[in-house]
Amino acid sequence: MTTLLTGRPTRRNLLKASAAAAGLLAAPSIVRAQTKELVVGGAAGHKPWVEQIVVPMFEKKYGCKVIFEGTRSLVNLEKMQKNKGAQYMSVVQMDDPVMILAVKEGLLEPITPAKVPNMAEITPAAVHMDGMWANYLQPWLGIAYNKTAMPTPPKSWAELFDPKYKGRIVVPSLQNTEGLPLIFAAGLLAGQSLEAAQKDVDAGFKKLATLKPNLLTIYTQQPQAYNLLEQAEATMIGPAMSSYALERKAAGAPIDLVAPSEGVFAMPSGIAVIKGAPQSDLAFAYVNELLGAELQTKLAGPTYSLATNKAVPRPAGLAPDLKIYQIDWANVAAERNNWISRWDREMAL
Amino acid sequence: MTARLRFDPVALLIVPAVAYLAFAYGIPLFVLLARAFVVDGVPSVSSFVRFFSDPFDWLVIGNTLRIAVAVTLVSLAIGYPTAVALARAKGAAQAAILVAIILPLSVGVVVKAFAWQIVLRRDGVVSQTLVALHLWDTPQRLLFTETGLVIGAVNVFVPFMILPIYSVLKLVDPRLDEAAATLGATPLYRFFRVALPLSLPGIVTGIAFVFSMAVSMYVVPNLLIGDRFQTLATLTGRSFLFMRNEQLGSTTAVVLLALAVATVVGSAALPRRFGGAS
Repeated sequence: MTTLLTGRPTRRNLLKASAAAAGLLAAPSIVRAQTKELVVGGAAGHKPWVEQIVVPMFEKKYGCKVIFEGTRSLVNLEKMQKNKGAQYMSVVQMDDPVMILAVKEGLLEPITPAKVPNMAEITPAAVHMDGMWANYLQPWLGIAYNKTAMPTPPKSWAELFDPKYKGRIVVPSLQNTEGLPLIFAAGLLAGQSLEAAQKDVDAGFKKLATLKPNLLTIYTQQPQAYNLLEQAEATMIGPAMSSYALERKAAGAPIDLVAPSEGVFAMPSGIAVIKGAPQSDLAFAYVNELLGAELQTKLAGPTYSLATNKAVPRPAGLAPDLKIYQIDWANVAAERNNWISRWDREMAL
Repeated sequence: MTARLRFDPVALLIVPAVAYLAFAYGIPLFVLLARAFVVDGVPSVSSFVRFFSDPFDWLVIGNTLRIAVAVTLVSLAIGYPTAVALARAKGAAQAAILVAIILPLSVGVVVKAFAWQIVLRRDGVVSQTLVALHLWDTPQRLLFTETGLVIGAVNVFVPFMILPIYSVLKLVDPRLDEAAATLGATPLYRFFRVALPLSLPGIVTGIAFVFSMAVSMYVVPNLLIGDRFQTLATLTGRSFLFMRNEQLGSTTAVVLLALAVATVVGSAALPRRFGGAS
């Protein structure tokens, strides 16, 4: 796993890359136009698995070169805005809230089943805004807990509210994307359906007010929160991201992540084709591969995420009948600032 | 050739500093003020009216001032005796105290904040010590409380209180105190009528330094108390970075700036009120 995730360039990769670069420089422009090169923008943290798993497979299958530019979602958005009309990137991998902004700016080309056959193979909830983007993988949100401080794993979101954990619970700030579903989890506990909990957050906020005595802190820095959990100053973090919590567990931290019985929330990892993308066919092919069962089977493990392709089984530890809630991110984007200011007022010390 | 009109070329030495400040500070400040005082292209104070009519914002102002005042007072209470000790110490002792004050400045604020997270925990050294001394019945948590925040912030800012006071005390002739003693003044009288008024310029500088840093600190509250405790600085940061509300961000920044400037100006008036003699 570590070698897989470190993403160091191997000698062969380097040779390949320099040969390609030399070829590019030497070839006359007419030939250069035929050298197929696909630029993908994504998150810096994704670079290891993209370059170790996705790129070699794709380059081999399509006889082309893939360049992955790892940065932050908002930086990718900026690049797309600045290069509007003359894009050099073809595909972006970004979080859903940023995708919504990109759709508003008219920067994305819809994905259609004709160009991306695997669209039919993924769960319908992973396709957003009439195919403007799709989720290729979804980290999930459960409850992370310290195994020494809590020998019996938590079973329900309700346990965060149990008075015996006074001053021992850490939750993410609403500034963090993983923090927002806490409102919905509270809504579920108050007896709402997910749809109702997203539309009307009143019940959720009322329930959250009862969490106040249990709060150790509300974090904005994820590593700080896990530090507190791993050293047992905190007993639970909820919601906690599978991609972070399970990586810490794999690194030997005395923590684990559970899926509460009410269900878990799927977090967004979106992929889209940029409008006016160079190598358009290749771009759709890349999206198609990431939505395909072959790649998703290989990626679900290293990224500690759920696959969106229906043919890929759930990771071990998640019950087959467990509910996986899909969040309406467009609604979240519209309401987020209101929720943040309400949260500030009601959760303040 | 009158003395008034004569141009002193030494004045030119200030040009680089002025140019730098105009570029790095003046222009951004102007942009900030423009954003706060212009709403939809029209000059307006409506964003301030909205800000001050929200009770939550008064809570934030209260948090900011309360913490800054507490940090300043604790720093003064700890810093003044330290500065006196430093000024009176000789040779190796003085060097040791000086190093102990200055060396921690080279440690980043984030590192210090993380260290305090360990020290202030329920099973941390502070809690254990207080329980061992029977001052506390049970281990308690100081982390993510206002007390913890003040303790952590004082640690970061106290050198900025000690050093200006020390630099003033160093210049005070120790014989003045002896002279007062020979004239029969009690130690308490000597402190309040001689030593304290003479050190006031240092105290004022220290207060201005520490207060203006404490009122606008961002990283320390972020790490030591978290998202539940908003100050003007953290509210400004999140308005710009997360809520993308530049109007609110510039408004809070201007309020913060006004508070800091008022304190620095106000504290400069302190020696006149306090000592009268200086």
